[in-house]
Amino acid sequence: MLRIENLCSGYGGFEVLQNISLEMGAGETVAVLGPNGAGKSTLLKVISGLLKPTSGKIYFEGRRIDGKPSHEIVEMGISLVPEGGRLFPELTVYNNLLVGAYNKRTRRHFKETLEEVFSLFPIIKERQNQIAGLMSGGERQMVAIARALMSRPKLLMLDEPSSGLAPKIVASIFEFVKEIKERGYSVLMVEQTVKKAVGLADRVYLLESGRMVFSGDQTSFLNNPKIKSSYLGI
Amino acid sequence: MLILNAVINGLLFGGVLALMAFGMNLMFGVVQIVHLAYGQFIMVGLYLVYLLTVLYHVPLLLSCVLAIIAIALLSVLCYYSVVKPLLKAPPINQLLALAGLWIVLENACLAFFGATYKGVQVVLPVLHVGEIYIAASNLIGFGVGLITLGLLYLFLNKTYTGVAIRAVAQDTEVSGVMGINSRTIYLITFVVGGALAGVTAACFVPVYAVHPHFGSAFTLLAFIIVILGGMGNLIGGFIGAFIIGVVTSIGSTLLNPEIGQIIALLICLLIIILRPQGLLGVRART
Repeated sequence: MLRIENLCSGYGGFEVLQNISLEMGAGETVAVLGPNGAGKSTLLKVISGLLKPTSGKIYFEGRRIDGKPSHEIVEMGISLVPEGGRLFPELTVYNNLLVGAYNKRTRRHFKETLEEVFSLFPIIKERQNQIAGLMSGGERQMVAIARALMSRPKLLMLDEPSSGLAPKIVASIFEFVKEIKERGYSVLMVEQTVKKAVGLADRVYLLESGRMVFSGDQTSFLNNPKIKSSYLGI
Repeated sequence: MLILNAVINGLLFGGVLALMAFGMNLMFGVVQIVHLAYGQFIMVGLYLVYLLTVLYHVPLLLSCVLAIIAIALLSVLCYYSVVKPLLKAPPINQLLALAGLWIVLENACLAFFGATYKGVQVVLPVLHVGEIYIAASNLIGFGVGLITLGLLYLFLNKTYTGVAIRAVAQDTEVSGVMGINSRTIYLITFVVGGALAGVTAACFVPVYAVHPHFGSAFTLLAFIIVILGGMGNLIGGFIGAFIIGVVTSIGSTLLNPEIGQIIALLICLLIIILRPQGLLGVRART
């Protein structure tokens, strides 16, 4: 479904991603882990078209998407939940969801998609007339995920969904991710909180200073001695 | 009683000012540029109405409608020729380019229409209730201004395109990830902003005669209102317009029109010094 080959990218001559390759199949949940500044968010930015790669290729369902503008990439079925949610603060929750379904492919299905999203997040239905900027961090994250689902993505990308949230709220956010996964979405998740993310993932990649240093399934990740000592603290 | 008259007429005039400032404010909020030639668009609108009505004998209302459409098209032309090539340029380049457009439009009008005042003779009554005198021209401007702003409110809150315009103004990057092509939204914003300059011109027809330097005063006035309310803050601009309307009206009535302008500029300076983000402004986005 998604294949990344030898991708390099960065900001103004500074190379953040060096020779990244990644592959994920339809229906899979993949976690990209790594410390702060490893390039995890940059990777999602490049896939979603916010940042141009300097070299390398990205294929989505067999079609090359690297270098395409972000609004075309959404149209193809990739949706990003930015770090911290980044809702449109002065719009109501409802209008945020409306913007989420802006692309041509999904706009005419707005009503039915909205019902689906409400069934997943019943609390959002009650809060739909609230101004997004006035909600709590956890609620904003939830609405941001809902907004991304409004574009009926085939691939949902989450940029550090747990960042800045209290542990209890993080747990409930991961519950939602699990439910989304169970509904058959492919999920590409970037995280710092290793244990929770690994628990959900079919496959795990580890990114360190812009390079992929590990890829494998859950068990091989958890049993890798080097990872054990530096990431799991065991 | 004199002051009450001034306040009422100032409030009425504020309706048109609010409309005028809204266009500039919208373009700043969405495209992040200060449209320095905005008043000149209004000026061209007034010249077009003059041209159509006086020289080609087109009925006044029809020429107003034609002028509004023409200014919207001029705005599209301005977007493609001046703004779009400079979208990623430093702000000072954008500012200079639009200031250049200001000079071009002023001199084009000077060359084409000459330096004398041109106007459409519209005689509208002055209504009076007791001792309060209201110019019907102000009343029309106020009505048109509020109706147009009401329609804009519905557009920006209830339609897909309108909500997308606000989304781009609030977070351009994320709106792209939502599937919004910001370039399309910029173009729509210029159409709307241009049409607003045209409607403002139509409201000014019974009030002012036009001359080649007509636009600069209104670019400045629109800019003052936008600063007063907080740049990009549409509600702030709305309130600012009425404040400026009333203050200039009182100043002109009690002293003279120049004093009214000076007071408006003083208010602008005070705001910049004391509350640079404007009355309802928020901190600059990073």
